[in-house]
Amino acid sequence: MKRHVQVVLLVLSGLALLHAALFTDLYLRYVKEGLRPYLIASGALLLLLGVAEAWSSYRPNAGGEHGERHEHRHEDGEHGERHGHGHGHEDGEEGEEGEEGDVGVHDHSAVPRVAWLLFLPALSLLLYAPPALGAYTASRETPKAVTEREHFDPLPAASPVPLTLTDFIGRVQQDHARDIRGRSVLLTGFVTPDKRGDGWYLTRIMISCCAADAQSVKVRVYGAQALPANTWVSVKGTWHPHGTLGTKSAEAALDALAVRKVARPVNAYTDALPLPTTR
Amino acid sequence: MQRAEERAGELAVAAADDGAADDAPAGGRLRLWLALSLGAVVLLDVVLFVVRGWTDQPAVQAWRTVCLAVTVQAMPFLLLGTALSGAINAFVPARVFTRVLPKRPVLAVPVAGLAGVVLPGCECASVPVSSSLIGRGVNPAAAFAFLLSAPAVNPVVLTATAVAFPGSPAMVLARLLASLATAFVMGWLWLWLGREKWLKPAVRHTGHRPGHSRWTEFRTGFQHDFLHAGGFLVLGAMAAATFNVAVPRSVLDAFSGSPWLSVLFLAALAIVLAVCSEADAFVAASLTGFSPTARLAFMVVGPMVDLKLIALQAGTFGRAFAFRFSAATTVVAVLSSVLIGGALL
Repeated sequence: MKRHVQVVLLVLSGLALLHAALFTDLYLRYVKEGLRPYLIASGALLLLLGVAEAWSSYRPNAGGEHGERHEHRHEDGEHGERHGHGHGHEDGEEGEEGEEGDVGVHDHSAVPRVAWLLFLPALSLLLYAPPALGAYTASRETPKAVTEREHFDPLPAASPVPLTLTDFIGRVQQDHARDIRGRSVLLTGFVTPDKRGDGWYLTRIMISCCAADAQSVKVRVYGAQALPANTWVSVKGTWHPHGTLGTKSAEAALDALAVRKVARPVNAYTDALPLPTTR
Repeated sequence: MQRAEERAGELAVAAADDGAADDAPAGGRLRLWLALSLGAVVLLDVVLFVVRGWTDQPAVQAWRTVCLAVTVQAMPFLLLGTALSGAINAFVPARVFTRVLPKRPVLAVPVAGLAGVVLPGCECASVPVSSSLIGRGVNPAAAFAFLLSAPAVNPVVLTATAVAFPGSPAMVLARLLASLATAFVMGWLWLWLGREKWLKPAVRHTGHRPGHSRWTEFRTGFQHDFLHAGGFLVLGAMAAATFNVAVPRSVLDAFSGSPWLSVLFLAALAIVLAVCSEADAFVAASLTGFSPTARLAFMVVGPMVDLKLIALQAGTFGRAFAFRFSAATTVVAVLSSVLIGGALL
């Protein structure tokens, strides 16, 4: 890989990370919120590396550039010839070139061709960032098990009571006091159509680090037409009586009284309480 | 479309001129680059237009999202690791390591394995670091023990495990012991059976050379390692995303019934999912249908062997090494999880 390509690659990668984490909230589609400062620092560092490389290679004294290239000892003497024109990018397959490039040439300007792959995430982030995971993923995963709880605080008096999907499922299936019976609750999530085509689930996807470890929770919704997949909605309703409330046999399901479209939350990979405002 | 074809034609001509233009004066080169970038932008537009229909498929979108997520998530850790590796090369004299580590490799392995505790980070960081350790004269066996233990037993990972498995400190202890045992055994196994020839002559750096700027050495080493490992990281992320999207976890739930199969399946799942070692405890905790030993195997194998790690190792140490080493590590990690899990859980 030629030096100016390395400069472009470093600068693009740096800009992509800064674009995703500093100027926009794009990063929240892929990783957890806590990673933001590290992504910004990484972007800045890559940008700095790119600028430093550009500065050192376009410096007027070409001798310095040449000398620098020799700072690392080389097992063979041919790298000097290879540098100028030995990097044809047309022949040989990627892996082979990577190995060969490394074995023969200990030249820091001779980065193996596999580094070109780094253009993909950089350009992807800058030009055509894929959306957050949604209904497709949720419909294929087994729902995340809700942790066992011994104690449930009494539900607040408000009606409807805003609950997270996890809390709702926990109360339906574990709360022996059956506090949820007859109560009107408010849940927010996105629409995942049932695979068989009848009915839909209110869904949330949660991640603990990045989208590769995504897990979903689902609540079945009865009595309301399904909106298109991935639409964010807020559903007011009561527990759909099926099974014995307070035990595992109770279905995590809702009889919808009202379904309202809401804006997608900024940090969507959490199971947060629905906000009372019109978000 | 007509315009685009014209552009593509131009592009081909420009590309053909590339070789001849190498010696051209700066002005011609600038014009060439302008033409090239203009052509590239137009070509990209056309490609996006054609491909968009295909990429709007939910499976393809999920694949791209997971692929990007693995890459983005690993990026800070990879930078940390490659910066550390560059710094070791440029600033740390080789004698430091020979002084700190025991002379006998048999003893150096456990010391290096325990030293893995000091590098809190994900597994991506430890590959370039251990490569530079070998470059500085550390015995490969000790470097590999460090490579395996650093992402598996550091305080961040152990804390995450304790949080993910509340009320079962035995799981944290079992993870610590099984991971350390695997790292030690793999180090000793390398002393016993390892061959230097499996290792690509990867000693890219020779450390500081008199008369040269240490900072320049640091910067170029860092940059080279990052670009090199980064490419392999993307390759690994693509493989992991492919499995992540192609094999839904619900398929694997079918195997939760059998105690033996479930251990093997969760070990295999850890390899294909390539979840970061700081997050894998949460994933393991969610696999409620599986026995504690199977979940332990998931957490011991994951930080030591997974698709992105195999790609990174293949790039750094060579393919001959990566496949043998990963296969052996998987076997040792599964065995030690079964033994220690059976005793403790």
